Amino acid sequence: MKKKVLIFGMSLLLLLTGATGVFSAEKLEIGALYPISGSLALLGEESWRGAEIARLMRNEAGGIAGKEIVFVKGDASTVSAARSEAERLIEQQKVPAILGTYSSSRCMAASEVAARKGVAYFELGAIANAITTRGYNTIWRTNPTAADFSKAQIAFITEWYAPKLGKKPSEMRVSIAHEDSDYGTSVADSFSKMAEGAGVKIVSVEPYAANTSDLSSVIFRLRKAKPDIVMAVSYANDAILLSRQAYELKLKAPILGTGGGHSLQSFVDALGKEANGVLNVDFTQYATNENFAPGLKAFLALYKKTFNENPRSGHSLANYMGANIVFDIIEKTGGSFDVQNIREAAMAMDVPAGKTPTGWGVKFGEDGQNVKAMPLVTQWRDGKLVTVWPEGAAVMEPMIDQ
Amino acid sequence: MDLYAQVLVSGLLLGGVYALISIGLNLIFGVVRIINFAHGEMVMLSMYLTFWLNYFFGLDPYLSALIVLPVMFAFGFLFQLFVVQPILSTSATMKIFTTVGISLLLQNLALIMWKGDFRSVQTSYSMSSIEVFEIIISVPRLVAFGAALASIIFLYCFLKYTYMGKALRAIVEDHSVARLMGVSVEKHYLFAFGLGTMFTALGGVLLVPFSSVFPTVGITYTLVAFVVVVLGGLGSMSGTFLAGLFIGVVESFGGTFVSPALKEAIYFAIFILVLLVRPQGLFGQGKGTEEVGLK
Repeated sequence: MKKKVLIFGMSLLLLLTGATGVFSAEKLEIGALYPISGSLALLGEESWRGAEIARLMRNEAGGIAGKEIVFVKGDASTVSAARSEAERLIEQQKVPAILGTYSSSRCMAASEVAARKGVAYFELGAIANAITTRGYNTIWRTNPTAADFSKAQIAFITEWYAPKLGKKPSEMRVSIAHEDSDYGTSVADSFSKMAEGAGVKIVSVEPYAANTSDLSSVIFRLRKAKPDIVMAVSYANDAILLSRQAYELKLKAPILGTGGGHSLQSFVDALGKEANGVLNVDFTQYATNENFAPGLKAFLALYKKTFNENPRSGHSLANYMGANIVFDIIEKTGGSFDVQNIREAAMAMDVPAGKTPTGWGVKFGEDGQNVKAMPLVTQWRDGKLVTVWPEGAAVMEPMIDQ
Repeated sequence: MDLYAQVLVSGLLLGGVYALISIGLNLIFGVVRIINFAHGEMVMLSMYLTFWLNYFFGLDPYLSALIVLPVMFAFGFLFQLFVVQPILSTSATMKIFTTVGISLLLQNLALIMWKGDFRSVQTSYSMSSIEVFEIIISVPRLVAFGAALASIIFLYCFLKYTYMGKALRAIVEDHSVARLMGVSVEKHYLFAFGLGTMFTALGGVLLVPFSSVFPTVGITYTLVAFVVVVLGGLGSMSGTFLAGLFIGVVESFGGTFVSPALKEAIYFAIFILVLLVRPQGLFGQGKGTEEVGLK
């Protein structure tokens, strides 16, 4: 009797392990590392949603090389958590590649872990330049960099705004207000350098802590500097605070944000009609010319179907586009995550601009950066964030009150 | 010249907000002698409560104080009863761990229940301001300033003239002697924590018209409230008010004329200097009240 039970037990065990063995062979696991708790949870989760939609769609269409894609989630709630979660995903969960991360500082930490272990890392949303300039050959980034943001801002100021004011680019006065972590500082630095190169005058630079509860001193300094336009690098709460206090304390110059906080729904919820006219340079948003970003409306419909609400920002769209590129690459390697294979497949890719839902083209440089990704200039108009520049992508003309 | 006046006014208004947030902490910190790192989360909870009352019932933030204040009094009372009382005789480190834990718990509960969105209540007066001699004064901040002043006067009279107030002051000075004199220390602790939380909630309510609500909104306020309370002196309400204004003005001038990135660093430097010279704070009651809750 005992023997029978034992045999039965053994065969059951065999059956189970055998079954799971077959099951896992059909799955293709990828680490998905985003800040889904902590202070960056909102946009971290928003970013993940985009990748998640891409995954669901791809699985519906048959997966990659016949295998179902599965995300193993990691929570990069802080920089050190990003490091330990990358470690955990690679060592314990044995994922062969990681995608993420939304936050630049978390990406820097996590991708370093991946690079040391020779695991491919795909960045779909963080913009710090340094991510792809550290000499690692295991990192690919689909989204535009901080330098691309600066380039777009300066082009907008010199090509559109300066002629509007009847000024030469060299006569433009620009102030910078930025939060003083890695993100704000690196974006402000790269903007300053590029502005100098374009002959635009930076009249003041105001760093501040993003978690502050008062920005009146920043506004007073800006009022003293008398800029034509204020270039701002902010997270969510400080973006609201800056515009609120700029209005209260009567700062005349328009604000040109840099991604992040200025494009959130909560920004317009907090400021109401005073948000009107605030400009921003960001990833592709939802009111963009469909001819420039084919598939945009389809994504929006998918998003509403999957999450029962409208996207909170364009981060999900950028991650959707990026995750699809990652899946295309892995499709080409036949499901292999070998870094050399990925490199060959990635380098061979060439998608012209205007063919993806973000409008970005795809062409990876030697450093793993997608050189055909570009941010757009958007503006809040009657509670909606619309793309206003450059012309091909715009649905409206920019408007600045004099 | 008018820039200086404007910076001064903005600093005073900011200081009023700081004082308002700190009054409750002074009661809790001064009487119960517990370093409550969840102080900012109580601000956060009151802000959310105010926000939801507006969201679902369209209640004006200022009116919602009638509901938020009693609710938060009860919250503080229960918090003392079930969380603080059991660990009261343990070491200071233990108390720190507990309240830091509670603080993280509340932040993450808020994140799970209400998500990471930055929420705001829009009122007709949210961004209204008045101008006096070309100096701009934000109306909701002025209201917060007035409420801070009124709360201080109320608490000053309460502590000075009622039996309960005298008992609380006796506990601040020496809780063992107060117990010997027949003061029921535990009962007063419950009341002090409830009252402290209620005044903290008042701060939270008055912040809502001009500040967004999100799960980690309290973190900044916890730190600044401790600075204000210690600088002003434990048990001194007028000290809290003046220290709040002082910090606000230092932050405003430092931020405008030195650098916005250094505004917090400047008041922390001054804070450390003051503690070196006068450990009991600027308006503390003197010897015996300088210990910062570390028994």
